[in-house]
Amino acid sequence: MTASVLLQLLVSGLSVGSIYAIVALALVIPFKASGILNFGQGEIVTVGAYTALVLVGFGMSYWLVLPLTVVIGLLAGIVIERGFIRPIMAAPEFTLVIATFAVGLILKSAIRLYWQDNPFALETPLNADPIHFAGVVLNPLYLWVVLCTLLLVVFLAYFFKYNRLGKSMRAVSQSHDAARLMGIGVERVLMISWGMSAAIGALAGILLAPIVGINPEMGHLVLKALVAAVIGGFTSLPGAFFGGIALGLVETYSGAFFGSTMKNIIPFVLLVVFLLIRPYGLFGKPPVVRI
Amino acid sequence: MSGQSGRAALWWLTGLALIVAPFALGTYHAYLVNLALINIILAIGLNLLTGNSGQISLCHSSFMAIGAYGFTLLNNLYHWPVPFAVVAAVLLASIGGYAVGYPARRLSGIYLALATLAFLALTQVVIEEFPDLTGGIRGLKIEAMNWFGLPIDHKYLVYFLLLGCTALGVYAAKQIMDNRLGRAFDAIRTSPQGAQALGIPVAEIKLTAFVISAAYAGLAGALLSMVVGFIDPVEFGVSAAIRYITFIVIGGMGSVAGSIAGAVALTGLPEALRPVKEYSDLVYAALLLLSLLFMPNGLVGLASALRRKP
Repeated sequence: MTASVLLQLLVSGLSVGSIYAIVALALVIPFKASGILNFGQGEIVTVGAYTALVLVGFGMSYWLVLPLTVVIGLLAGIVIERGFIRPIMAAPEFTLVIATFAVGLILKSAIRLYWQDNPFALETPLNADPIHFAGVVLNPLYLWVVLCTLLLVVFLAYFFKYNRLGKSMRAVSQSHDAARLMGIGVERVLMISWGMSAAIGALAGILLAPIVGINPEMGHLVLKALVAAVIGGFTSLPGAFFGGIALGLVETYSGAFFGSTMKNIIPFVLLVVFLLIRPYGLFGKPPVVRI
Repeated sequence: MSGQSGRAALWWLTGLALIVAPFALGTYHAYLVNLALINIILAIGLNLLTGNSGQISLCHSSFMAIGAYGFTLLNNLYHWPVPFAVVAAVLLASIGGYAVGYPARRLSGIYLALATLAFLALTQVVIEEFPDLTGGIRGLKIEAMNWFGLPIDHKYLVYFLLLGCTALGVYAAKQIMDNRLGRAFDAIRTSPQGAQALGIPVAEIKLTAFVISAAYAGLAGALLSMVVGFIDPVEFGVSAAIRYITFIVIGGMGSVAGSIAGAVALTGLPEALRPVKEYSDLVYAALLLLSLLFMPNGLVGLASALRRKP
């Protein structure tokens, strides 16, 4: 196996990992703020992809569709938080897991009712010929995904470190009560965190659409994002990013060396191993429970 | 007629109706009764784990798949007599339950949900990646069954096996819930720390709950493959797992009556929705969500609330 093949695998691993990382970030942000894991996040990705499809169908340019889709995702997230999540915020964990699953299922079956199972392609200005560079084939679509992920990570890092709203989100994630005493509108912050998460999910959808094609089962990807989030630690944003990249690389290399069966099995084996040995992930903090 | 004997009469009537059902009903309605019984078995098992012991499981469709594929392969490849193949399928599913329950002893909440989801994804991958054995995504047909050469229509044999299994399942679940084990389930649902302090071996009890529950699901799976005659991995995916959870949420958590009510109501529902079949997933999910929001104790809770308020 030559160096150029290894390099090629590195490039595709990073691209796949970037998508996992984006969706994992979308999972971790509302989890940190509200303590609720959105099992319907995958369907937000699907909704993002179909939104882009509809907007492109209106004849808009891709560069206009991209920000519009993200904004629509933001609004959808806010609606979901206010409509379904807030009424059951204090419910037992079982209810929350199943309710978020149900919201996802409703979105997916609604999409399937309208568009059926037909796959759709999304034409973008980036569906260009691959670039050959140092013996490695670079697909512009994949490069764009990696670039967007990096921009997103830089934005989030800045947002949570310097922005007032970002800082109040961190405060809310530490303690709702203490944050409220400091004059932070906890409900507003929770709503915005769900909105941000859905906006990031929609971004993942529009990035993924030209690569895998648009179909109702796109949201299946959330399983991999969950694995990524567990590897990185559910309470850590950098963890979600590195978990996603690491999972993409592991998957790609194991697929190349051991075949597709291993490639499909390894993520879930990793998930179970991590849950057993380090349930708080590589970067997360071990939870301290007061009985 | 007093309430007690009225209830007994109701039981006898239901039993009698179930015994004459396969002879009185047409093929299609008999098939529905079969499905309802299978769903009852599954719901009872799931309810013991989720409703009584408080453990989330998103992989009951996988235990069902293990039972179904185990039975079908023993039947197709080795022509085992049906009762032996069913027992073997149940054992295989219990081993699956052990495999999930062992790591799950230390997990709870979303982490348990994730671990069970991973198991579901794993079984799906395994079924799809070994098409030579499992038929892959194209599915697997159940060949002629070995009933020791009994000269009775197999349709009736399957039905009465199913009926017997359901009765046994209901009885066993009642026994478990009325005994030491059932009280331990309730204790670890209410407070694992409190249960531990009372000397209840929490980890062991959780594992037991998983194994029992998986055995029920495996039985349901084996019986399903007999009744339907064909299995494929789509039948055992995430949406199926959510459908089974819908049974117990709508019926009522932690009660055998709830499992039965939910399973019967929701087996009838898709058939009622048959003209608008595409909507069935949507209706299921919407019912599940509405029930979680407005009817947290299910149909059984609703019924007892109505009875208390004359």
